[in-house]
Formats: sequence, C-alpha cells, structure tokens
Amino acid sequence: METQIEEIRIGALAEIEAASDEAAVEAARVKYLGRSGTLSAISEGMRALSKEEKPRIGKLLNEARNAIASALDGRKSELAAASEARAFADLDISLPGIPAWRGSLHPITQIQERAIGILRRMGFSLADGPDIETEWHNFDALNTPADHPARNEQDTFYLPDGRLLRSQTSPVQIRTMTSFPPPIRIIAPGSCYRRDEIDATHLSQFTQMEGLCVDERVNLGDLKGTLDLFVRELFGAEVKMRWRPHFFPFTEPSFELDILVASGGKSRWLEMAGCGMVDPAVFDAVNKQRGDAAYDPERVTGFAFGFGLDRLAMNMAAAPDIRLFIESDQRFLSQF
Amino acid sequence: MKISLNWLREYVAFDGDAEALAEILTMTGVEVEKIERRGSDIEHVVVAQILESTKHPKADRLSVCKVADGTGEPRQIVCGAKNYKVGDMVPLALPGAVLPGDFKIKVGRLRDVESQGMLCSAEELGLPKGEDGLLILPPGSEVGAPLGSIFPSDAILDLEITPNRSDLLSHIGVAREVAALTGLEFTAKRVRNAELNSAHPVEIAADECPFYSVRKITGVAVGPSPAWLRQKLETVGIRSINNIVDITNFVMLEMGQPLHAFDAYKVEGDLWVRPASAGEKFLALDGKTYELNSTHLVIADTARVAAIAGVMGGEGAGVTEKTTSVWIESAYFQPTSIRRTSRGLGLLSDSSYRFERDVDPAGVLIASQRATELIAEIAGGAPGELRIGFGAKSQFGFDAEGAAEGIEYTGSVPLRRERCARLLGVEISDDEISAILTGFGLRQSETGWEIPSFRPDLVREVDLIEEIARVIGIEQVPERRTARFAPASDADREYDRLMDLRRRLAGFGLHEARTLSLISERGLKYHLGPSAVQRLRNPLSEDHAVLRPSLLPGLMDALARNGRAGERAVRLFEIGRIFASEGVEESLSLALVLSGPVAPPSWRSGALRNVDLFDLKGLLAALFGANVHFADAQSGGVAYMASVAIEGGIAGRAGQLWPNETKLLDLSAPAVFAEIGLSAWLRCSDAGGQYREIPRFPPVTRDIAMIVAAGTMHSQIDTILSGANEPLLATFDLFDVFTDPSGEKMPAGKKSLAYSLTYRSPERTLTADEVNAAHARVKERLTSALQVQLRE
Repeated sequence: METQIEEIRIGALAEIEAASDEAAVEAARVKYLGRSGTLSAISEGMRALSKEEKPRIGKLLNEARNAIASALDGRKSELAAASEARAFADLDISLPGIPAWRGSLHPITQIQERAIGILRRMGFSLADGPDIETEWHNFDALNTPADHPARNEQDTFYLPDGRLLRSQTSPVQIRTMTSFPPPIRIIAPGSCYRRDEIDATHLSQFTQMEGLCVDERVNLGDLKGTLDLFVRELFGAEVKMRWRPHFFPFTEPSFELDILVASGGKSRWLEMAGCGMVDPAVFDAVNKQRGDAAYDPERVTGFAFGFGLDRLAMNMAAAPDIRLFIESDQRFLSQF
Repeated sequence: MKISLNWLREYVAFDGDAEALAEILTMTGVEVEKIERRGSDIEHVVVAQILESTKHPKADRLSVCKVADGTGEPRQIVCGAKNYKVGDMVPLALPGAVLPGDFKIKVGRLRDVESQGMLCSAEELGLPKGEDGLLILPPGSEVGAPLGSIFPSDAILDLEITPNRSDLLSHIGVAREVAALTGLEFTAKRVRNAELNSAHPVEIAADECPFYSVRKITGVAVGPSPAWLRQKLETVGIRSINNIVDITNFVMLEMGQPLHAFDAYKVEGDLWVRPASAGEKFLALDGKTYELNSTHLVIADTARVAAIAGVMGGEGAGVTEKTTSVWIESAYFQPTSIRRTSRGLGLLSDSSYRFERDVDPAGVLIASQRATELIAEIAGGAPGELRIGFGAKSQFGFDAEGAAEGIEYTGSVPLRRERCARLLGVEISDDEISAILTGFGLRQSETGWEIPSFRPDLVREVDLIEEIARVIGIEQVPERRTARFAPASDADREYDRLMDLRRRLAGFGLHEARTLSLISERGLKYHLGPSAVQRLRNPLSEDHAVLRPSLLPGLMDALARNGRAGERAVRLFEIGRIFASEGVEESLSLALVLSGPVAPPSWRSGALRNVDLFDLKGLLAALFGANVHFADAQSGGVAYMASVAIEGGIAGRAGQLWPNETKLLDLSAPAVFAEIGLSAWLRCSDAGGQYREIPRFPPVTRDIAMIVAAGTMHSQIDTILSGANEPLLATFDLFDVFTDPSGEKMPAGKKSLAYSLTYRSPERTLTADEVNAAHARVKERLTSALQVQLRE
C-alpha cells in the first residue's frame, strides 16, 4: 500500500506539472482527489488494515493528499498568471487615450483674474457699478465739459430716458466716493460701451479695469509705484515702460503708461493704461453730491487708473483680431 | 495735425532729427502718430541734362546717353528707360552716391559699354512713385545743382493734439512748445497792426460770435502760388488752389487762426454775422448743399449766406482766377457753436477743427495782418481799412500794450510750491518752476502767474502743476509702494463666488463665452422670459440695438457659429449681466448650452447618445450641489421648455430646441439649454460644508421593479418613497425606465420603473429580517398609494 500511495503521488505531481490549462488541472483534481478518485479508493482500502498499520498509512495518505492539493493550487495560479500576462502581452499600448471633456475660462476672464489677484495683494478691494449710468456719473462728476465730444450721440449709446451705457468704468469712482468716505482703495472691472464700428481692433463693448486710491498724502509717487509694480507682476520684472503725459478730464496731471512688447521680431510701445492724479473738480462734484467736505481737495489727494482688458488679452495671446474674443468659437476658446 | 520739420525750424532752432523731436513731444504729452519722409536730398545726386541718346550696340533695350552734369565735361551713362527725350532734365546719381536700399553707385560696364553713374526714377530716389522711367525735372532746373535743391528733404510729423491744447494746432504753436521744452530760442514774432478804428463796424446779430474782422483788398491778381508757398502746403497735405486761398491756409497752418477769403464782387452789400433761418439752403465749397437752421451761425451779405461761420465757405462767393478784389475774414467764434454746427451738419473742416477747440483771441488780428501783408506781397493789391465788430455779450478787448508785444494775458493763477510738492511727491525749486512756466509764455505777477491768451487750458493751480509735471517727467518722481489691508467688499465676495462657479463649469468641460450685451431685435426670439426689454435711442446697427434681457440670444448665436464651424459637441456657458426695464434693472445670470454626444467620441465609445435635458439637469445638480427640479413643461415657440427650481430658491428655465430650430442653427445634434438667475444663489450662504457623520455600518440594498400607467411620473414615486417614514430607508435611486411601444413585453399604456433602495442603520449592522420587514412596508405604501403592479 505504501508503494501504491507513493506511485500515485509521483504520478499525480507529474501530471499536474504537465497540465497546460485550467481544465487539465481540474481533471487532475477529480482524478486524484475526487470522490471516486484514486486516493479516495485507497482510503476505502484502509479499513482492511491493522490497528498498527492504520495511523502510519493514514499519515502517508494525508501527506500525499496535501502535496497533490498544493500542487494543484500552485499550478492553477501559475496558469492564471500566465494567461493574464498573455493578455497584456497582446495589448497595443500605443492606442490613443480616451478623451475627457476639457472646458476653459475665457481669456479675458483669465487676464482679469490675474490682474485682480495682483491688485488685491496690494490692498485693493473690488467695487462695482451699473452698466446703465446717468450722464452725471459718467460725465458731469468726472469733470467732462458739457459740450465734450464724448457726450455726443455719435460716440456714446443713450437710452430713451437720457441715461447712457457707461463709456468708461470711471463712474464707479464716483459711486464709491459718494457712498464711502476716504480712505478709498478700490478696483472695478466691468463692461464699457462706445459707439465704435466693430472691426479687427475695435469693439463697441469692451472690458475695463478701473482703480482709485484716495487718502491724505497720496502723491504721484504712489501712482507710479502701484502701476510699476502691477505691470512688473503681470509682464515680468524686466518689462520696459514709459510714462507719457496725456490729457483726461478727470485727472491732472494725467499720463499714459506704455509697455514695450515684441511682435513679429520688432518691438513696439503698447498703450497699457491711462492714469493720473484725481482732478480737484472730481472731488468737488463728489462733495456736492454728498453734502459734506469729506473729499476736501486741500486735505485728500488721490490717483486713478484704468486699462482695457480686451486689448491686453489680445496682445498677450498674440491674437490677430479682437472679434475672436466675442465670437465664442470653441476652436478659439479651447486654446486658453 | 501734420507738422513739417523744415517749416518748424523757421521759428525754433531745433537741429535734431524728426525722431528726436518725436521723442521730446511724445514724452511731454503730444503723441506722434507717424513720421513721413518727404523730398530727396542724397549726396552726389545732381540735376543733369540729356545731350544725346543712342542705341546700345549690344542691347536692344538699353540706350547710351551723353549728359551734362554741370562740370562742363559730358558724361556717358547707360540707361534702360524710354520716357525721356534729348534736352530733358533728369536726376543723375554720380559714382559715390548711395541710393535708398544701400545701393552704391559706381562706374561700371553694361554689356561692354562704360556707364559713369545712373539716371534715376522717382522711386529709386525715395520719392513717391511717378510715371514709369526716369523722373523728368522741371525744364528750368539748374544743371549740376544738387537734387535736394528741388526736392528738399523734410519730415512730416503727424501729431495727435489732446483737446485741451488748441494752441498746438499750428507750426508756431508747436515751435513755442518745443522751445519751452528744450530751452531753445523761440524766434517767431507776433506783430499786430494797432489800427483798430473803424467807421463801419461789422454787424453781429449772434452772441456766438464775440468778435469779427474783415478787410477788403482790391486789385489782387489771383494766380498760382509761388513755389515756396505751394510746397509748404503740399508737404503737409493741403492742396494748392490759388495764391489767395493758399495764403489763408498758410496763415492758419502757421498761426492756428483760420481765415476765409470772399470774392468782394460776389458779395452784395456788407457782410454780417447772423443765425441761419430755418430751412435756408447753402451750397458749400465741398459741392454739397446743406439745409441750415437757427442753431447754425452764418456769414451773410444782404442777399444770401456766404459762409457757414467758422466751418466752410460757399461756392457763391468763392475766390476764382477771375477775382480781382477780396474780403479777408479773421474772427473768433464760440467753440460750442462751431462744434454744434459742424457735428449737426456732419461737416468737418480744418477751420472748424480749430475753432471748436478754441483759437487764441489775441491772434485774430495778428493773423489778419499777416495775411494782408502776404497778399500784398504775392498777389499785389491795396489793403483797405480793417472793419471789426463785437458780439452783444462779447468780453473781447484788445490791450494796447499787448498789441505791440503780441501777447495778451487773460488772468492770473496762484501757485503754491508746497502744494506742487504734495501732489507730485517731489520738491521742485522756485527757480525751476519759474523757468518752466516762463518758458510756456506765462508771466509772474504779484498774485501768481499770468496766463497768455493762447493757453485757455491753464485756469487752476493744478493746471500749472500739470505743466511742471509734464516737463520734469515722471522719471524724477520717486515711486512709493504703499499698501493697506483691504477688507472684502460685497463686490469681492460676489466676484469670488462667480469665479468659483466659472471654474466648476470649466471643470465639467464647458467653455466660457463672453457675448455682447447689445443684441438684435431678432435675437429676442430666444428670450424666453417675461420681462420687457430696454432699447437704445441711438444704436449703431440693428444687430446691437437691444440690451439683452437674457444671455440665451448671444449663446444661441455662438451655438450656430460653432455648428457652422463643424463642431459636433458644443458646450458653452456664460455668466453676465442681463437687463430688464422693470424691477431689478441689471442682474447676473448664468446660461448654458449643450449639444452633441455625452462624452468625447473615441475608438472605444462606439455610437454615443446625444445630451438631453436629463444630462443638463444632472449637470445643474452637480454644479449647485443641490436638488434640481424641472417642472411646468410646455411647448414654447422655439423649444420644449420647463421651469427650473434649485434648492435655495434659485430659479430659471431649461429647454430643448425644436428640431427645425436645431437645423436653423446648423447643428448636427439636439441642443439643450438653461438660464439661471444668480441673485438668489449669491444671497445663499457661502459658509462652506458642514460635517455629517460618515456611515459606519454596511448598507443593504433591495430593488423594486414596478409596472405603472405610462402617465405616472417619477416625482409621484419620489414623493411616496421620500414620505415613507421608514427610518432604515437611507436613499433610493431610479435605475431603469422601460417602455415597449410594440406592446410585446409590456402593454403599450404602461411603463416599468425600477428603483434601488438602500437600507442602513447608524447604530448596527442590519439583519435580513429587519430589512425584509421594512422593504415590505415600503412596497405596501407604494401599492396602496398608486396603481402599481410590483414585479417580483
């Protein structure tokens, strides 16, 4: 019987080793360990053994059974692993990835976000005003003469009731100062409207960012320091700037700030911002509206600046036509 | 305004080049839009005369010329041009000349014949392209003279003058500014004939003309202008007409005072100034007839209108070659009146451009004098007396002392040095201030600084400080970096929340659009809300005439544009202001449009289904992190529409375009859209999430499949399950909806709904018995409340 068990064990292990698929392993399990398998038959024959023989043969039988079972399991996982490996071996790893939807923020939103981020770090908070404005907020309070060409029906959009679509974000200066006493440090992004024909470099609606700082002892140096830092944060510390004296009704002295940009191998000055020291006439108008002297021009001074985000976005993206920014063409939007 | 550098140098000894001048002007507030080159003054290019021309022995297209170059020795030149004849004067580039494009002229051989230079075309000399071939010079040109004597080189600077600087609208004005900025001497002299007495004052019947002067010059010979005059005008882009008209234009360009010349024989009676009569017709010099009204100021004789005051003269009294006697007008008109007239008639001229920006009152008579002298010199004639008139409310006066000096002062402005330092952030010494302001023609007095009449923009202390800032430049101002903590404003909070929303939408794969606030009347068909709209009084075009009451018209345009571009999947959103004519006038709105497959197509996706209203609903729920209800479905004009209600009182509309609309927009798939008002959402707390206990015990799920009448809505089942009052029922989800129109698997009037119910206890692991009991109760509620047939 001992020999018989040993022969079965050797035969089984060899057969399992040779099994080439899961079915063959399963067949071996049935053949050796199954209810009517060979080891079971021997186990049946144990009844005939003597009391002395039984434990010894039983032990041998158990050892054989365990060895075969473990060989079966081992072979089975070997075959499974081989089959998985074969599956990966057949994989064409060069197949393209499955695309995911990719959305985008509008390039003007992105540049606006950057600009706001920089100015907030300098201690400006946001302010807001309506697109539909009164002529007083948009022109009178901003020291614009009654017969100034900008007030013309040819240049500014009017509503039937005499109000207008703001031609600049500067009326937010007036709204802020009439509502809050100094000190003021605000920025105000928003839409403005001018009665310009739409073409490659003009829109009748554009996005501006206004800034205003009013306090005691604010001088031109504060304006220069603020915009200098802002421009360097936006375009890099090495950006070249120049300040040209200019004329705006609501600031005096007034400047235009240009930055040197490279385009097509050449560099040229790009108008970046208009700015200046708040004209005392603006403070006078605000005081009159407030009914106090909170903005006494002898006590407080201020600076204001404004710049167009559309032109800026157009230049930063090197886009050839400003209309791309309002056309909502996904082939354009998805580039940002 | 165009300024000639050569002309400018007659009044200020500026010897830098055009670029240097442009830099000075630009950096002190006068923008230089462009610099144009004129003339050709190249070394070793001279006038030559062609003495003979023979055919080149070896080249049919070339000729061999003998030319005179002023040295007495004929010079042999090989030439390819055909447009000349023997005797013509032509430009000759001698060996050593360098033509534009770095083209060096040498003695050379062309097909074995020596050429000792080159005869040139206009283009080769950098002059405007003329006829093909050689540039033929005027017959009387001096042989051997440098070409620069015929085409003196010049640079024309096109200046953008800001509206406050009317004094810079002339060569003398710019020269005065350049002198002040550079410290160079200003050499233009202002001279005025002090004789003002007039026995016959000009009648002025309009307050808008404070001062008018006119002088008759008889016996003039009208003809072409002398070369210097013609050239001066042409170089700055003014066409030469005749000597009289040219002189008036010259004086305007020189001094900034517009003048006008009338043919004295065509004027009946005396000239006077009056408002036009309503409906009065006037044929102007531009050949167009204008219908005038009483807001327009005119110069008239006893019979008719001779000129629209300060804007344009008429054909009727214009100066022609037959004119022998002229009236020369020099006047001052109120800027507002000229602007009104010019804009009202849509008629702009060099004259109106200057008058509406204000001219120097003290310059009126100086210009008249200058023109009179030039006419006498160039066209002959005898100047008559100067007739003048003052408007009724005129404050005009001429001071005798000023008459001699040519400068009058209009008022005095005080200036505090410490105020200047406080505003500019840099100390400027009294001496420096004095040097700057004196340079601009101001005069210090006891009370402050006296302002010359040509600087009406200097009225207040801050105006003087600006002049100082302009000259010292901002480079001298030390920059300060000061910041202060800025508490978040309402606008800050709103901005941050909107940016958060934008980023989430981009995260869901939508592109942000920014469409215009002004839409067309046509676009209103996509405005599906009730409010009335605001329209512009003066739209620029029909496409942009209405203030958008909704973002959808703009996005539908965008949808169509992308459809036409062949985009299969269009996924756009916009956050922006919308406008109403009642209630809240301006409010923030969010709109989305989706069209095309639910996922980006790929090699594995096979046929993808297109997005529908339920994808949109799910997107809104994920976006707002809240339950979203679509209800009140109805068929609108362009779409199947539903109202949208989102937890937190947020409301809007959603819909799907009808197929014919989809086709109209060139889309390849159905389009769904939503517009949500953001006011309520912005009012909701943005405090952030609150912790809820995370379940510690495993859930048990049981499914319920039921057959219901086809008209039964999910919301009915939802109400029953939500209100089941079954504490162990944690959540339930609809996982299948099945209908069978063929009636094979299910009767046609029925549908099958399948829900997965999740049972869970926060305290313990549930037993099968507990779950089964609860599930049985839920089923019982369903069957008793609704006609449902449960499928086991």
